[in-house]
Amino acid sequence: MTAHTTGVPLRAKPRNRPISEARGTRTRSALRFWPQYVSIAPFYLLFVVFGAFPIVFSIVISFTDWDGMGRMTFVGLKQYQYLLGDARFWQSVSNTFIIWIISTIPMLFIALVVAFLLHQNIRLKSFYRVALFIPNVTSMVAIALVFGSVFSDQFGLANAFLKWIGGSNAGVAWLTDPWGIKITIALMVIWRFTGYNAIIYLAGLQAISSEIYDSARVDGAGTWRIFSRITIPMLRPVILFTVITSTIGGLSLFTEPQVLLGNTGGTNNAGSTIVLYQYYQAFQNFDFGYGSAIAWALFVLVLLFAIINWRLVSGRKEDEFGRALPGPIGRWRQRNTAKKEAGR
Amino acid sequence: MAALSRRSLLTGAAGLGVLSLSAALSACSSPASISAGTDELTLWYWPRSMNPSALKDAAHGIPGTNKRLNAMTPANTNWDTRLRTSLAGNADVPDIVAINSNVSLYFFDEDMFVDMNKFGAQSFKSQYFDWKWSYGETPSGRMCFFPIDSGPTGFYYRADVFAKAGLPTDPDAVSAAVRTWPEWIELGKQLRAKTGSHLLINSTQLFNQIVNASPERYFNRAGDPLYTRPGSAIKDAWDIAVTAIKAGVLGNQQIATDQNAGWVTGKTAGHIEAVWWAQILLDTAPKTKGSWRLASQPVRAGNSGGSFLAIPHTCQDPEAAFKFITWSQTAARQAQAYNEVQLFPSTPAALTGGTMKDASHGFFGPQDSLAFFKTQAETVPSAFISPYEQIANYFTTEIANVEAGGKDPNRAWDDAVNETNQVLRKHGVNV
Repeated sequence: MTAHTTGVPLRAKPRNRPISEARGTRTRSALRFWPQYVSIAPFYLLFVVFGAFPIVFSIVISFTDWDGMGRMTFVGLKQYQYLLGDARFWQSVSNTFIIWIISTIPMLFIALVVAFLLHQNIRLKSFYRVALFIPNVTSMVAIALVFGSVFSDQFGLANAFLKWIGGSNAGVAWLTDPWGIKITIALMVIWRFTGYNAIIYLAGLQAISSEIYDSARVDGAGTWRIFSRITIPMLRPVILFTVITSTIGGLSLFTEPQVLLGNTGGTNNAGSTIVLYQYYQAFQNFDFGYGSAIAWALFVLVLLFAIINWRLVSGRKEDEFGRALPGPIGRWRQRNTAKKEAGR
Repeated sequence: MAALSRRSLLTGAAGLGVLSLSAALSACSSPASISAGTDELTLWYWPRSMNPSALKDAAHGIPGTNKRLNAMTPANTNWDTRLRTSLAGNADVPDIVAINSNVSLYFFDEDMFVDMNKFGAQSFKSQYFDWKWSYGETPSGRMCFFPIDSGPTGFYYRADVFAKAGLPTDPDAVSAAVRTWPEWIELGKQLRAKTGSHLLINSTQLFNQIVNASPERYFNRAGDPLYTRPGSAIKDAWDIAVTAIKAGVLGNQQIATDQNAGWVTGKTAGHIEAVWWAQILLDTAPKTKGSWRLASQPVRAGNSGGSFLAIPHTCQDPEAAFKFITWSQTAARQAQAYNEVQLFPSTPAALTGGTMKDASHGFFGPQDSLAFFKTQAETVPSAFISPYEQIANYFTTEIANVEAGGKDPNRAWDDAVNETNQVLRKHGVNV
């Protein structure tokens, strides 16, 4: 027992110890490690106050009718019932998916190509890496203001350029046409996150052993064949990661349309995303009950898409990710695979 | 030794944590007013919403009370959310709070504010414009929101662009030429044909200003919707806006960048907005100084903007708070507020007192903007602004869809009515 004063986490205890003994000492050892518990406590205290409590409380609010200051009335599932029949909500869902698709696919493709190019032996490598990452750390509000000026319908730079090459009738209603709005928002997302994803891909590329490339070259494979048969398959876990993070980011799109178009999301609500609609209901109409219901609907959607993504990109049954999953789910999966193998 | 010192360090840290936690808890259980237990009354206002000299004087003591004023300007990124948060949490609530022209949003929770009639607010009523006073009275007849400034509207126009189009440029002549909305649209057509400039940025602005100048709005005091009734003021305003869109006199500028560029370049040669907009225009287009003029808008002037003072129910001394409010909003103080931060008075006596000086400094050429808005303020009608206007109103978004999205006006009207009714039903109104 004295060996444990070094503060090794409980989970890392040797597994071969009899279960009964571990259970008997559990409370006592928890007390023994109190300095360690105290030192990790600040994070958990803050998380309980500013993370867990609001999350749980928003479930409670979603079952009530509340304007943010007066009396809370319990209304049961009425907010969710209203949500199902609310055309504006479903329009926000479709807006979000359209913007997500027209931003994520080109973004990840460009990022992959950029990463592949950066991985080659070129000059000024670090300069390019920094330059690509800078959009990601720029203030979103500043970006939206600049984009608002560039894509402004009547006085914008983009339309001035189009008129210069295409005559005075050329030009797109970037910020009033329903498709113009979606494309402008997608362009903002692409501009901001391509560099970030490229850096992640680059890290993935660097992890691939050069011996594999060398042997492929020896066997006579060309660049495209190496890219499609070695780079892409080896990058599969990294691609999965970027797809999932862009899905979560894309489904929770908010700042871009809000700063660019205001709380209603512009003409025909074409830029109203789910989170913007949630914000509009909670902080403009002060309908916090409904705002919370929208938030939980979004949670279900994100969960659904994370699962679909995972299935699509991981594909095969014997994928790597189940084993890599932390905590109880990972252990459960490990046990399942072990059972299956034993059954064979 | 090392282990011991580490342990004592941890014990110290843990002790500090417990201390700060208990301090935070005790703060939670203290009375809700920010200034509880002091001789101060705390006021929340945003810059340029109150008379600075009055605040300075009250900091030494509010006349007639034993309290001093502590004026705070909290970050106002979202003023209403901030106020709601403290009222909902019943903690850190100011004793007096400024609220913008959207006061009706608080009518649903009027019991969270002190009824100033308890302290004889009625005896002050005759000193203020009827229309401004009535905005602050709740449907149940409580007086919870005391007038600060007001926002009579007018028709701003570029005299130089009008001259180029061969239109009248003198304020009186322009006022006479646009007595009705069809006349105004006709003027806009001529302007458009000769110079390519628009009269106004977009249909939402036009629609809102017509409603702001109407004695009848969306709902009556009982909460019944009026817009579906035949000949309703809202439908009239809608039809005028649709005609203006079709006549091409509006700029279809939905984004601030376009709007600002329009005023700077003269592509937009007019605007309909309240007295305070002059300052915004001055900041946006300083080079157009001297070429703007003010004319009466068609039919009559409306009110746009203008804020109020309220006393939250947690106030530790509501009577002293009310004394501060009436003391800071006398005619003399309001005149001073205009001279210092261009807050247009809500009491007519301030306008006739002769101490106010025109703040436009030649922005409107030789025209006296103060005299102009003084006459406009007399024509503003009293109207009831319902809290439902704030939470169930799809008319302004739908009129923008007609203008920017080319939506069929009839379909847009039906959609606006249906969407508004749908939200009303959600809030338990029978429509």
